[in-house]
Amino acid sequence: MKTKMNQRKKAKILLAVAVFFLAAVAVAGIICHDAAMVTDFSRKNLPPSLAYPFGTDWLGRNMFYRTLTGLSMSILIGVCAAGVSVVMALILGLAAATLGKKADSVITFLIDLVMGIPHILLLLLISFALGKGLRGVIVGVALTHWTSLARLIRGEVLQLKQSEYIQIARKLGHSNLEIARKHMLVHLLPQFLVGLVLMFPHAILHESSITFLGFGLSTEQPAIGVILSESMKYLIMGKWWLALFPGIMLVLTVVLFDLGGTSLRKILDPNSVHK
Amino acid sequence: MKMKKITSLLCAFAMAASLFAVPAAGVMADASNGEVVVTMPTTSEPASGFDSAFGWGAGEHVHEPLIQSTLVRTTKDLKIENDLATEYTSSEDGLTWTVKIRDDVKFTDGEPLTAQDVAFTYNNCRDLSTVNDFTMLKEAVAVDETTVEFHMNEAYSIWPYTMAIVGIVPEHAYDENYGQNPIGSGRYIMKQWDKGQQVIFEANPDYYGEAPKVQKLTVLFMEEDSALAAAMAGQVDVAHTAASYSDQELDGYSLMRVETVDNRGFNLPATVSEEKDGITYGNDFTADVNVRRAINLAIDREEMINNVLNGYGTIAYSVCDKMPWYNDEAVSEYNLDEAKKLMDEAGWVEGKDGIREKDGVKAGFTLMFSNGDSVRQALAEDTANQLKELGLEVKTEGVGWDTAYDRAQSEPLMWGWGAHTPMELYNIYHSMGESGLAQYSPYANETVDNYMDEALKSDDLEASYDLWKKAQWDGTTGITQEGDIPWIWLCNIDHLYFVRDGLKVADQKIHPHGHGWSIVNNIDEWEWE
Repeated sequence: MKTKMNQRKKAKILLAVAVFFLAAVAVAGIICHDAAMVTDFSRKNLPPSLAYPFGTDWLGRNMFYRTLTGLSMSILIGVCAAGVSVVMALILGLAAATLGKKADSVITFLIDLVMGIPHILLLLLISFALGKGLRGVIVGVALTHWTSLARLIRGEVLQLKQSEYIQIARKLGHSNLEIARKHMLVHLLPQFLVGLVLMFPHAILHESSITFLGFGLSTEQPAIGVILSESMKYLIMGKWWLALFPGIMLVLTVVLFDLGGTSLRKILDPNSVHK
Repeated sequence: MKMKKITSLLCAFAMAASLFAVPAAGVMADASNGEVVVTMPTTSEPASGFDSAFGWGAGEHVHEPLIQSTLVRTTKDLKIENDLATEYTSSEDGLTWTVKIRDDVKFTDGEPLTAQDVAFTYNNCRDLSTVNDFTMLKEAVAVDETTVEFHMNEAYSIWPYTMAIVGIVPEHAYDENYGQNPIGSGRYIMKQWDKGQQVIFEANPDYYGEAPKVQKLTVLFMEEDSALAAAMAGQVDVAHTAASYSDQELDGYSLMRVETVDNRGFNLPATVSEEKDGITYGNDFTADVNVRRAINLAIDREEMINNVLNGYGTIAYSVCDKMPWYNDEAVSEYNLDEAKKLMDEAGWVEGKDGIREKDGVKAGFTLMFSNGDSVRQALAEDTANQLKELGLEVKTEGVGWDTAYDRAQSEPLMWGWGAHTPMELYNIYHSMGESGLAQYSPYANETVDNYMDEALKSDDLEASYDLWKKAQWDGTTGITQEGDIPWIWLCNIDHLYFVRDGLKVADQKIHPHGHGWSIVNNIDEWEWE
């Protein structure tokens, strides 16, 4: 008899597929890095074929390797920047909720300030001020993406503070720090993890867009933003493969991260875990 | 969330569409009455207007100013002929230039053009120009209605090449907005300027020279891909294009190539590295002259032109190939074996991975190129590939111009040069004041300096060409392969255009650096068949 797959199982499989694919791309990209940099003028502007599944560009670079490396760089930058961002959000969110009124208003003000400026604009400014390049992009993404999660965590902690077990812990004489570490952090972990995963696609898209606009990684790098902005010049000549495959791969990566994050939430969230 | 995604998708489409959009529809050319529509890169639009003091004609990219007339002009073989001037002489010490001008020339507002206007123009350029060098000029003085004297700070025998690019402006109609509404005495009148889109010129009916054949010129500013799209749609008569688009077949158009001195090459810092004021000058690897010679020999320029430019280029051995002051001793044949021998002699021996080493240091450098310039990037990549065969590890890196000048003091950068004046040699190879090193890449050779100083002091322009040649190679020293070779020159990039069938573009002078206004230097001589 056939059993219908329940949501939990589905989510697990989706998560596994997403993680596997992304890890594979990240690793493959690192392995292909050197091959992606090779230029060979004897094979320039080739359409997709068996030897070059994604074709080659005007420098005779293998677009398949280049796309993989670009995506892997995007994923690593995304993970790195989102990681920093999430840690910032956690610390600031916790601090806002536990350190008293003054700290709270300062941090809330900061959140509003950063949120008030369009992401991409602030990102451009920070990246440009830091001399562009890898550092500029990572710092830029990290400094712009923490706000919404910080606000979420702050709200959650404020709510937690009113709950009975925290009140009791306080009555029992535990210090603020200990309560935060022992009781709150554990409670926040699922949201934190999900927030982290759902921030990846944002970080990746923002990395590629500022690189696309010329404010990110420099043009000899096989970054996905560089690939896409270069391809624009050759679209009119009918070199569709330069934009299509890297574009699809970027969308696929982002969608998979999104799916992975949503599945993770379903598994971790007590409301949906048993559906 | 969904709304946001849809919006961003729409934005993406809008962006894509705008790429193919051609500004100012309705500029369809009418072949019958001498109208021509030409495209140029967006960077060719003069940001500060059509004013010689702010780089119009006499800027980074030199060309004839069209709207204004110049004292002299360059001929097809880049010698000098009179335009406004009827004669010019320089004093024996080279410190005074006396120029007599025509008395029958009028600005398009009806006022006559006098020596006073000429003096005003040059003094104004000296005071205001930041893009062209006028420091050698002390003062321009109008002696009478038709005679102007230039008093120089130092002898400057190639002054006529400056006189060929400075458009004379009317003193009576000059203010800070002149560049927006220029009045001149040249072949064309600027009728309309839609910033960011187009400029429309009409022939000057009172022009003192031969009447222009083309009555109306429209210049559209756009990127190469949009220019190609515009040509595909039949909206323009001449579309500038790049080698990478050269294999496109367009109905009703044919590809025209114009030879240039628009060269590309990279510098090799010729001193050992040393830090000063936070900037590193010199490079230990390229400081060895044998290394520089080996690099020059290991470059197969012909192959590079085929690889990168689809064959649309000419070999460059110097910054001034094909100019009257070019010394053909600069020619060096590709010879990998000889290059390898030189590297061996310099003590760089091949390691296991094929990369040469000396005292544990790997042979190689970083070759920079300006971000977004696909031709320079391709040249840098091909250079890296070719030098790999010599056993050098060359990394390429895209940089912005904000940092490139400083970094080029210690690392090679892919440059583009080429102008209709021997001053280019001076700017690149002559040492500068305080540092005692050349401006863009550390190098100094007293003999080379002396030849150039002497050439500038010469009282006969054509005779001074010989001294410029000697500065390049005098039989014992110079800047060529057998000399110090502080710069490696690769190619001159042909300027390519799709030209509508039936339009006869007049013969072009060798174009200087810049893929813009040079093409319309002689627009008045173009014809529809």
